[in-house]
Amino acid sequence: MITEQGVKDFLQTGGYIADDTIATAVFLALRMEKPILIEGPPGVGKTGLAKALSNALDFPLVRLQCYEGIDEGKALYDWEYGKQLLYTQLLRTQLDNYLSVSTDLREAVERLSSEESLFFSRNFLVQRPILRSFLSEKRSLLLIDEIDRSDDEFEALLLESLSDFQISIPELGVIEAKRKPLTILTSNGTRMISDALRRRCLYLYIGYPELEREVAIVRVKFPDLCEDLARQMVGFLRKTRELNLRKPPSVSETLDWAQVLSILQAAKLTPEVVANTVGVIAKHQTDLQKVMDLAVQELA
Amino acid sequence: MERIVARFVAALRQSGIRVSPGESLDAVQALAFGGLRGRRLTRRLLRLTLVKNVNDIPLFNEVFNSFFSRYQFVEPETDLSGVMDAAIIDMEGEFNYLNEIKDDDHEPGPLLKLDSDINPEDLQDLKSLSEIDPDDSDGNEIVVQMKGYRGKAKAPRPARRYMQNPLTIDLNKTTGGDQGITFTPEEQIAMQEVVSRMMMRLRKDMKRMKNNQNRGKLHVVKTIQKNYRHDMIPFQVALRRKRREKPRLVVLCDVSFSVSHASRFMLLLLHTLHNQMLDVRSFIFNREIAEITEMLANMPVNDLMKTIDKGDIVDLDANSSFGQVFLDFKKRYLENVRGRPAFIILGDARNNYSDANDWVLEEIREKARYMLWLTPEERDTWSRGDCLIELYGSYCDKVEVVKTVEDLSMVVEDLLRDIYADSADPIDRKRLQEAKAAETYDSKDYYTRGTSGGSAPAFDPAGRSSW
Repeated sequence: MITEQGVKDFLQTGGYIADDTIATAVFLALRMEKPILIEGPPGVGKTGLAKALSNALDFPLVRLQCYEGIDEGKALYDWEYGKQLLYTQLLRTQLDNYLSVSTDLREAVERLSSEESLFFSRNFLVQRPILRSFLSEKRSLLLIDEIDRSDDEFEALLLESLSDFQISIPELGVIEAKRKPLTILTSNGTRMISDALRRRCLYLYIGYPELEREVAIVRVKFPDLCEDLARQMVGFLRKTRELNLRKPPSVSETLDWAQVLSILQAAKLTPEVVANTVGVIAKHQTDLQKVMDLAVQELA
Repeated sequence: MERIVARFVAALRQSGIRVSPGESLDAVQALAFGGLRGRRLTRRLLRLTLVKNVNDIPLFNEVFNSFFSRYQFVEPETDLSGVMDAAIIDMEGEFNYLNEIKDDDHEPGPLLKLDSDINPEDLQDLKSLSEIDPDDSDGNEIVVQMKGYRGKAKAPRPARRYMQNPLTIDLNKTTGGDQGITFTPEEQIAMQEVVSRMMMRLRKDMKRMKNNQNRGKLHVVKTIQKNYRHDMIPFQVALRRKRREKPRLVVLCDVSFSVSHASRFMLLLLHTLHNQMLDVRSFIFNREIAEITEMLANMPVNDLMKTIDKGDIVDLDANSSFGQVFLDFKKRYLENVRGRPAFIILGDARNNYSDANDWVLEEIREKARYMLWLTPEERDTWSRGDCLIELYGSYCDKVEVVKTVEDLSMVVEDLLRDIYADSADPIDRKRLQEAKAAETYDSKDYYTRGTSGGSAPAFDPAGRSSW
C-alpha cells in the first residue's frame, strides 16, 4: 500500500524532488486510476515527472508526442495495409481452393465474407502508443506530451480512452485495457484544453519551485556543486524570473546553468561569470541585457 | 463527508468555479483514499480533483479558507468590494455621461465612508472623480479637465465597467492606475488568450477551406507516396496546392486622448496579430499620421506605447482632425497601398469642426476590399457635437461599436472571415456564410454585450450591416 510520503521518497531516489502537491497528485492518480493533466511553464519538469515515475515505479514508458494534425492512425491504432495485401497475395492458392468448392458467385462471396474477420484481426493491427500501453502485460506509464499542440478533434478522440481506458475499433469491437496505465498529459497552455478533457483528469499545476526545492533539485543533479553556489545561483534566477522577461529561466535552465558553472569550476557568482554564461539562462536578445543589469546590480 | 463536499462544491460554484458532479464524486473518492490528515492535505486533495484551471486556484484557496474556517459568518472581502463596484458604477455613470449630471445629482457622499475597505486602485478612482466638481458641469470646464488628464496618460472611463462578465477584459481597466498607458502582464496574457481563441476558431474554418482550395493539378509523386499502402492504386489523390492570398489589412488608429482607451487595445491586438496570419500595415494619427508597421513588429509593445504616449510619433497635443489625416494619408500612403486590403479605421470621428474631407474616403474606398469603422462611442452620442461618424460611416461597409477586447476581437474575426470568404471557392463561401449566420444567431448577446442596463439602444443586426 503506497502513501504520499512513499511517492515522494521513491521519486527522490529516481532523482526527482517532488513537493507535496505533486506527490499527492501521483498518489491519487495511482489509487483512483485517473489521468493527471499537468500544466505549467516550459521546463519545470512536467515531462521529467513522467520519466522519473516510469523509472521509479518500473512502469514501461509509452510516450505519445502530440503535434498539429495528429490522428487516431498515429495515436491509437492503424491497419497494416501492406501486410494485408501481402497475405492475400501469398494465400491466393489457398483462397482459390477454398472458393473453388462454391458453385456460383453468390456462394463464393458468402464463403469469402464469412472469413473476412481473418483479415481484420489483431494480426493486422498496428499498435500505436495508446493501444500499446493498454495492451501491455505490465502496468505502463502513458505520457501524452504537449496535448495543447494537437487540435481539438484529437482531444475529443482521447476522451473515450482516458475516461474508460478502452478503445472502440469498428472492425473488432471494444478493446479494454489489460492494466490501466498511469496516464500523464502535459500541456504548456498555448491553447485552452477543453473542459471535457479537464473533467476526466486530475489537474496539477507545476509552477516554478520554491527556493529550497530548487536548491535540492540542483544538489541532486550536480552533487559536486557546492551548496553556497547552488543557493546563490538559485536565488539569482528567482530574481530573474521577476524581471518580466520574454522567456523566464525555468528549472531546466537552472540545471543547465548549474552544469555550466560546475564545468567552469566557478566558486562564486560575479557579474563577469554571469556575463560569460548569460546565454544559458536568457534566450532572447532583449532578455540578455536585463539579466546582465540585474547581475551588476545584485552581485557587484 | 459527502454532504460537506457537496456544500463546499456549491460554495465554489457560487464564486464562479465550474465543478461538475463527476468531479465532486472524485473529490469524495480522493478524500477517502488520502484520508483526512490535516488541513493542507485536504486542501491539496480537493484542489487536485475540483479545480481544473490554474486561474481558478487563487479563488479556490480563498473559498477553501473561508469555508473551512471557524469564522464562517465573516463575509469574504470580495463582497465588500462588490458594493464598492456598484457604488463606482453609479458615480461613474453620471461622471461619464456629462450631460446627465445636470439632470440628476446623485449624492456620492455616503459612499465615501467605505474608504477603510477600498483598495488603492479604487481610491484613485475616487480621487480622479473628485477632480471634477459635479456642480460645475459646464462643458468647457470639463474639456479643460480632460486636458489635465492627458498629461498623466489617463483616459475617461465609460460607465458600467464592473458589470461586465469577468471573462471579458475591459478596455480601460487600468488606464486610471499609475501604470500609465503601458500594459500589465495580465493584460498581455489576456490578449494572447483572446487572440489565440480567435485564431483557433478561424483556423478551424480555414483548414476546411484549405483542403478544398488545394484543387490544383495532380501531384503525381505525392499521390504515389500516399497510395503506397494501397498497392499503388490511387484511392487517395494528392493535388498541387494553389497559392493562397494572404489577407491584407490596413489599420488607421486614432491615438488622440479621447479614444486612447480603445486604441491602445487595438494596438495591442495588432501587435499580437502581427505575423500570425496577416499582412498588416498600421498607422496612428491624431492631427498628423504616421506609419508604425515596423515598430509594431520590432519593438516591445510597452516601449512603443510609451513612445506614442510621449508624442514622439504624432503630436498628441493637437486637436485630432480626421479630415486632415485622410488628406495626408492620400498624399503619402494611398499610392503604395496594394492588393485591395481591408481598411479598419478606429476613431470617434470627432473632427473638432475642421474640414471633413470625406471625398478622400471615397478614394480609399476604391482601393479597399472592405471598409470598417470602429468607434468606442455609444450610438446615441453619435449625433452630438462635432461627431462626423454619420458622414464618414456612409462610405464604410460597416460601423461597429467596440467597447471591450472581446468586441474588438470578434469584429476583427468577422472581418477576417469575410476576407477569407471572398477569396474562397463558392462552396466554401456558402458554408462560411452559413456558419456565420448560425454563429450570430447563437451569440445574440453580441449586439447587446457591453451595453447591459436599460439604456441600450435596440440594434437591428440585419439593418446595421447595410449601414
